[in-house]
Amino acid sequence: MKKLLILLFISFAALLQAQKSAIVSGVLRDAQNGETLIGATVQAVGLDRGNVSNEYGFYSLSLPSGNDSITLRFSYIGYETIIAKIKPNGATKLNLSLNQIGSQIQEVIIQANALEEKVKSTEMSVTTISTREIKAVPALFGETDIIKILQLKPGFTPGSEGTTGLFVRGGNSDQNLIVLDEAVVYNPNHLFGFFSTFNSDAVKDLKVYKGGFPAQYGGRLSSVIDVRMKEGNSKKYTASGGIGLISSRLTVEGPIKKDESSFIVSGRRTYVDLITRQVNKSNEGKEDYVKIPDYYFYDLNTKVNFKLTEKDRLYLSGYFGRDVFNFKDQTFNFRFDWGNATGTARWNHVFGPRLFSNTTFTYSDYRYKIQNILQGFSFNLSSNVKDANTKVDFFFQPDNRHSVRFGANITYHDFITARLKAGSDDGQIKFEAGRTYNGAEYGAYIADEWTLTPRIKVNYGLRFSAWQNNPAFYANLEPRIASNFSISDRWSLKASYSRMNQYVHLLASSGLSLPTDIWYPTTEGIKPEISDQVAIGTSFLLGDQVLITWEAWYKWLQNQVDFKDGAELFGNDELENELTIGRGFAYSPLELEIEKKAGKLTGWIGYTLAWVKRGKFSDINGGAYFPPRFDTRHNFSIVGTYEFNKRWQVTATWVYSSGYVNWLPVGRYSVQDVPGAPFQTVIPVYGNRNTYRYPAYMRGDLGVVWKWKKKHSEHDLTLSVYNVTDRRNPYFIYIQPEFETTAVGDVPVSIQAKQVSLFPVLPSLTWNFKF
Amino acid sequence: MLTIHILKKISFVAGLAFLAACNLTNDVTIDLPDYNRQPVVECYLEPGKPFRLLLSQSYSFFDPFGLDSTFLQKTLLDNAVVTISYNGQTDTLRNQLAFDFSPVKIYNYVGANIVPATPGVAYQLNITLPNNGGNITANTTMLPLVRIDSVPVDFSTDPRYDTLARTLMYITDDQSQPNYYRRLLNIGSLDSVPDQDFIVADRISLTSTIAFGTGYEFTVGDTVFNTIFHIQKDYYDYVESYQLAVAGNLNPFSQPSPIKSNVSGSGNPLGIFTCLVYDRDTTIIER
Repeated sequence: MKKLLILLFISFAALLQAQKSAIVSGVLRDAQNGETLIGATVQAVGLDRGNVSNEYGFYSLSLPSGNDSITLRFSYIGYETIIAKIKPNGATKLNLSLNQIGSQIQEVIIQANALEEKVKSTEMSVTTISTREIKAVPALFGETDIIKILQLKPGFTPGSEGTTGLFVRGGNSDQNLIVLDEAVVYNPNHLFGFFSTFNSDAVKDLKVYKGGFPAQYGGRLSSVIDVRMKEGNSKKYTASGGIGLISSRLTVEGPIKKDESSFIVSGRRTYVDLITRQVNKSNEGKEDYVKIPDYYFYDLNTKVNFKLTEKDRLYLSGYFGRDVFNFKDQTFNFRFDWGNATGTARWNHVFGPRLFSNTTFTYSDYRYKIQNILQGFSFNLSSNVKDANTKVDFFFQPDNRHSVRFGANITYHDFITARLKAGSDDGQIKFEAGRTYNGAEYGAYIADEWTLTPRIKVNYGLRFSAWQNNPAFYANLEPRIASNFSISDRWSLKASYSRMNQYVHLLASSGLSLPTDIWYPTTEGIKPEISDQVAIGTSFLLGDQVLITWEAWYKWLQNQVDFKDGAELFGNDELENELTIGRGFAYSPLELEIEKKAGKLTGWIGYTLAWVKRGKFSDINGGAYFPPRFDTRHNFSIVGTYEFNKRWQVTATWVYSSGYVNWLPVGRYSVQDVPGAPFQTVIPVYGNRNTYRYPAYMRGDLGVVWKWKKKHSEHDLTLSVYNVTDRRNPYFIYIQPEFETTAVGDVPVSIQAKQVSLFPVLPSLTWNFKF
Repeated sequence: MLTIHILKKISFVAGLAFLAACNLTNDVTIDLPDYNRQPVVECYLEPGKPFRLLLSQSYSFFDPFGLDSTFLQKTLLDNAVVTISYNGQTDTLRNQLAFDFSPVKIYNYVGANIVPATPGVAYQLNITLPNNGGNITANTTMLPLVRIDSVPVDFSTDPRYDTLARTLMYITDDQSQPNYYRRLLNIGSLDSVPDQDFIVADRISLTSTIAFGTGYEFTVGDTVFNTIFHIQKDYYDYVESYQLAVAGNLNPFSQPSPIKSNVSGSGNPLGIFTCLVYDRDTTIIER
């Protein structure tokens, strides 16, 4: 570690001494709506120099000084290329707006340039999803969902049928750092995970790191899911939305001051509860009728941005979402609600062409609350995690060989774990449980993208992270390195290593996501989780349109947290006594993706072969290693979109994965129990964890989009068919006795395993509009 | 535990709502790992009743029930030597079938003496399995009876439900030490499937009065049995573990649990050896 620090010091000292050169910088935007473009390419033609715009649209490119003009090419997938000529003297500011593409031929050329940049980049283990892909991929109930599209990419394993659970390269679902405009989203799920909290109408960009983590990210072990909201149309007022089978969406955006400031408000709500209320009303009074509980979810995204000066821009954004489950009858007066709230205030400042800064304040809040109020008595159970975070990031371009990024952040966490309050109104009966915790998380990093030679690039950096939760204090160094060796313009070899620390832990009592899962801090007894991941890979550009990426990786996990068998979760002030600590590992020799992002046919083929294990838990399986539920050996997906013309588009997806592993009983016995309790024929006896593998999962979906335009509006009608072959995939398997009615009553005769599938073929129709 | 009871209901109701809506269940054939049968002990020492114990064996999950004349022979573990020691004396239980008829219970080892009600008495169980199968041992202690203070009945004030009543069962908890309870609520008969069956620890109670309530669900004439068992921690753990084992098999949102038995010894035995002190109130709903 000491050697690494010395190397870092020498490198940064060297780059600060680097020769001064000319520089061009600016912000790239969409010409139609003024949105900044993230990851747009800037190339100096003939000079083998290039860069990409950062997550705030800012770019900077060092050029050799001289009198000869240099041609710059600005390109971005889906946009027309801009060619600009400049005389490289000193600092040139060049803000540009790119037009959305008119023809597919142009798109193919631009795609080739963008893919070449991807081949040459040090970034590996990165997945990006475009808004076009989000809209094209057929979805359950027609609800487009970015997390479910990610599940179709190699390296990602879904939680279970139809849900947004995400297990990345053998990591647990809580090991994903999910950020919306840089604010952490603790629970990305609606309806027990069947939908994600991200309204795709409000999403501008999605970038996911599965490994090779840049130094600016920390706090989770397995992935970074960086979601950026749209900024709002700064050119004109528009309204867009959709009416679907279970929900409707509406987005309004427009300029506050044309080309300088804008706003966006986007909301959606499900309306199944409106139907079920009517059903309940029409059946009121019927003796055997069981009321259907009310359920709905909604979310609201808002954002405004203001140009303060030529060098300063302010962004304010927020998200608020809730799931609400209500049930009221003579026995219950019950309400269960849960959801996230996030807020972000961001200030971009351009110090000069070589130095750009972003200062951010974020607030995150995730809570659930269960209430049951009956005459004279009440019951409340709640949990809450809140973060207040301040961070600052600097982007520094000393010369054309180095791009430096450094920054720091501090996050204050506040936890309330399973607070129970119950009792009688008169105070004579009172139950209470639950504890509060807090902690401070610190981070500081520096990283340099160093172009050693035209063919070799290295991105090396170091992150310092620390956690304080009196009296516990932990400090860790997290080295990060990623390198690229370009064999040619079309073929490169890549390698990366990164260490991550995680200071907050999700205590989940089952393999499925529940809103009642509890976030718990690092303490004296619960140490920070640590991961080390190495990856090697290659990227090869076949023709102009097809990018083939292969990666192999190995990940070590330390201080993994799990519940002891039979742990008691609720009403327990000493949750830590119910936890057990272990290790884990995961590896894949083959994670393959073949992408085609332009032309009439676009899509990808993904395949992952992986192994995942957990073990060394003193209270689970006697310390032996076992596969976690999501250890699926093979994951294969094909996604293809064919655009017949400007009006018709068809998308098909097909996924195959090995079955999940599960913990099924191996034996049974009977309990005759105490007086008043019934004889129990079958008490399952469980052996070692997760010894049974479910049958393989396979599903095909189909989507057809019909688009049309009117004078002042654009429309499309999207038909999604989920599980087009009507295959019965296993959701879960249970085993139960089958009874036969005899003269002495019902007697058990046999034991039968039952497979429950969730979704048959499910067609849905959504009308989307834009005015 | 009240909380868990409610949460289980929520998640299970949510799960069932989906499944019922889709009706997509079918029979499958699966292979489970090999399983060695385990001895199972079930012994509740109930004051005023004879020492009685059921010694049986578990089955591989898919073994047929075979409810024919050989069933008892295949299920019960006979010819063991079962002794229970307490207060300096050791009772040897005879290997013979005995029955209770309401509610129906069966035992295959029965003692000659009656279980004393004295709190604090420690009991040691020793079982020598037949055919040199080794020994099983367990310990328990008689707890004091916790009486039901009262079971008031009140009718709903909501005009829509004003013919419906609820019961509230009050007990007084000794706050000076940890206590564990099992609560049963039967309607109509003690042979009925309980309307409520859960365990609770008093650590979450800030008051010495604890209430167990129902919803407004009873009508005039209903017979309601409220029972409170004062139980040992190991019985509390045992009940919780088998309830989780049952739920884990049927409910995808529930994590299964191995059985936490308080019997140990040869053959990796399952089961419980505990004292059973309980108070029961029978109320016929009247306005």
